[in-house]
Amino acid sequence: MKRQLLFLWQILFLALLLIPSLTKGQSTIGRGKISGDFSFSGMYYLPDSLINATEAEEKVRANTYLNLLYTNANFSVGARYEFYLFPLIDFEQIGYKGQGITYFFADYKNDFLQVTAGSFYEQFGNGFTLRAYEDRALGIDNSLYGARVKVTPYSGINIKAIWGIQRKNFDFNFMDRKDFVRGGDMEVVFDEIFPKMSERGFSTSVGGSFVSKYENPKDVTLKLPANVGVWSLRFLFRYKGFRIESEYANKINDPNLGNGFIYKNGEALFITTSYSQKGLGVSLSFIRTDNMDFRSQRNTPNTTPLLQINNMPSINHQYTYALLGNYSFVSQPNGEIGLQLQANYNIPKKTKIGGKYGTDLTIHYSRLHDIDKQFVAASDSLGSLKGTDGYTSHFLKFGKNLLYQDIGFEMSRRLNSHWKLGLEYNFLTYNLHLLQGEADTNLFKGHHAGVEVQYKINSRHALRLDAQHLYSKQDMGSWLHLLIEYSISPHWFFSVADAWNYGNSQKEKKIHYFNVAATYIIKTTRISLQYGKTREGILCSGGVCRTVPASYGVGLSVITSF
Amino acid sequence: MKKIFFFILFCYFVNPIFSQEDSQTAKFSTLPSVDIKTLDGKNFNTKDIDNEGKPIIISLWATWCRPCIEELTAIAELYDDWVEETGVKLYAISVDDSKTASRVVPFVNGRAWEYEVLQDVNSDFKRAMNVVDIPYLCVLNEKREIVWQHTSYAPGNENEIYEVVKKISNK
Repeated sequence: MKRQLLFLWQILFLALLLIPSLTKGQSTIGRGKISGDFSFSGMYYLPDSLINATEAEEKVRANTYLNLLYTNANFSVGARYEFYLFPLIDFEQIGYKGQGITYFFADYKNDFLQVTAGSFYEQFGNGFTLRAYEDRALGIDNSLYGARVKVTPYSGINIKAIWGIQRKNFDFNFMDRKDFVRGGDMEVVFDEIFPKMSERGFSTSVGGSFVSKYENPKDVTLKLPANVGVWSLRFLFRYKGFRIESEYANKINDPNLGNGFIYKNGEALFITTSYSQKGLGVSLSFIRTDNMDFRSQRNTPNTTPLLQINNMPSINHQYTYALLGNYSFVSQPNGEIGLQLQANYNIPKKTKIGGKYGTDLTIHYSRLHDIDKQFVAASDSLGSLKGTDGYTSHFLKFGKNLLYQDIGFEMSRRLNSHWKLGLEYNFLTYNLHLLQGEADTNLFKGHHAGVEVQYKINSRHALRLDAQHLYSKQDMGSWLHLLIEYSISPHWFFSVADAWNYGNSQKEKKIHYFNVAATYIIKTTRISLQYGKTREGILCSGGVCRTVPASYGVGLSVITSF
Repeated sequence: MKKIFFFILFCYFVNPIFSQEDSQTAKFSTLPSVDIKTLDGKNFNTKDIDNEGKPIIISLWATWCRPCIEELTAIAELYDDWVEETGVKLYAISVDDSKTASRVVPFVNGRAWEYEVLQDVNSDFKRAMNVVDIPYLCVLNEKREIVWQHTSYAPGNENEIYEVVKKISNK
């Protein structure tokens, strides 16, 4: 069966590749277009035992990749070469190590049909059933290698079907793999079919999808299902400024390493509703996920994003503050329930309170708990639930453990043509024990306050000062963070930053994490040189944000697209 | 299989280099055809990005990207004047994924931005444009060709963007 499918796939692939040469003339324009992007980010690691910077045998490490894309009218082909033989330390830690052509495809697309053979990324709905995606900065690449067909038989009706084997880092032995994914999605957008609806301020769409994973069920102790399916239904309704969106998903029995090999079905519900008009936006979201971790191979640990077929969104506020990087909430597909509330308000410009340029305000609140679990009787003396239905759960009941909570306020305002001011205050509660596996069962509580001042010297030169303070008695204690950035538009950024862990309870750990960086940008090329100590978290400088591990050294990065 | 693929691929990439014809069309690139969504959930193909022969600005951004918001806020303060003088239209394409995609509408309205906002929830357009990091911004001329592009934001970049827009509109 699989061999026949692979054979069909090869024919499809070759047919797609040959389309441009067969249809010379009308459907090809000129000689087509080549584009691409290249990224190199290297680091020379210096030892520093105090900050826990990992000591590595290879001191010089780099992540390098090149994407090439050829497009000619309706036809495109592309490939990516990745060189990660000695990758940055955090990539090595997650097993993202190797080299080769990890992505290649041929694609034909017109208004009615799109056919892809080779590697592809795809998302059904909110990603509850399928989300093949990449996040290169984090070392996530869950692309599928196979075939995809998208059909639009009538404007407003979209049908997708996919079949593929999921990428597993640098393991290219697709023929030996005993697992694959297939599925379909259909969406009907009513206001595209009935344009009069939009005129009256209505929008409605409904969709549904089904994704199934096949995996060789060989196991000595358990009778494992060869196929595991996930289905979902979703809708969106809008009337003028009011919107409501929802998706419900259900996963049929999927014993796996992450859930302790239990046979319970998984389910998820996501509802988000919002009201907005010019100058005001309010949104409220609810999420509940239970046993929804869904992977190509059941023995994959659920601590990495490896082989994840679906993706459950986390609804908390997405912080970019350097000091809160260590306390970023990661969604818990096997059990979380919570709410998020956010309001954005713009005090209009040229008013007494809003000032000449207007003022932007944001308030947000989110609270996430684990789910209620009533465990069934343990099947053996060790209390293992392996092979049972695991537990039952009351659908709307919040579990007794708080996982995460944020409450925050942000304000930004231009004072005049030179000065701009931003203020924020956030209160964060974070369960280190359940989210990061730390022994300490006390909740982390932190007060974070920040001031950002921008002074525009003239039309090209600007100075930015970012001061943040995190007050806490738990974990690593209190921090102070200062960043001064000087920019010369459009080419240069220079920055000096220091994060000082002055409140650490251990005297020798009251460390200064200093950092200096220079960045040169021309068009779509960015060259950046950086020296210093970096703590784990999200770092934003030179106009971009990326995730970084604890490290000390000299870094060089070159990113370009053409 | 891979060998055949790369042989054919190689031919495609080598072909245009030795080709003399159509050198004019190769000067600027146009937008790829990618299906993304409008804020109402309707399908939108990126090749339909249009402004009736007037200049177009495309910005790739996200609600969690501070420099992106800084850039779009800086432009928002000047946008009324820009539109009046040049007829320019800004398409702000959000790459927010499911985590924050549902907050894009209230965010945009809450900031009182008057841009044309679209959603690229699985970064398909971003990938087709070969964009590595956001913020990314490009300017399209009357033929919808990409004549200027830039990555990252420094205060004052908006002046250069407007110079480019004015040049196109005065043509």
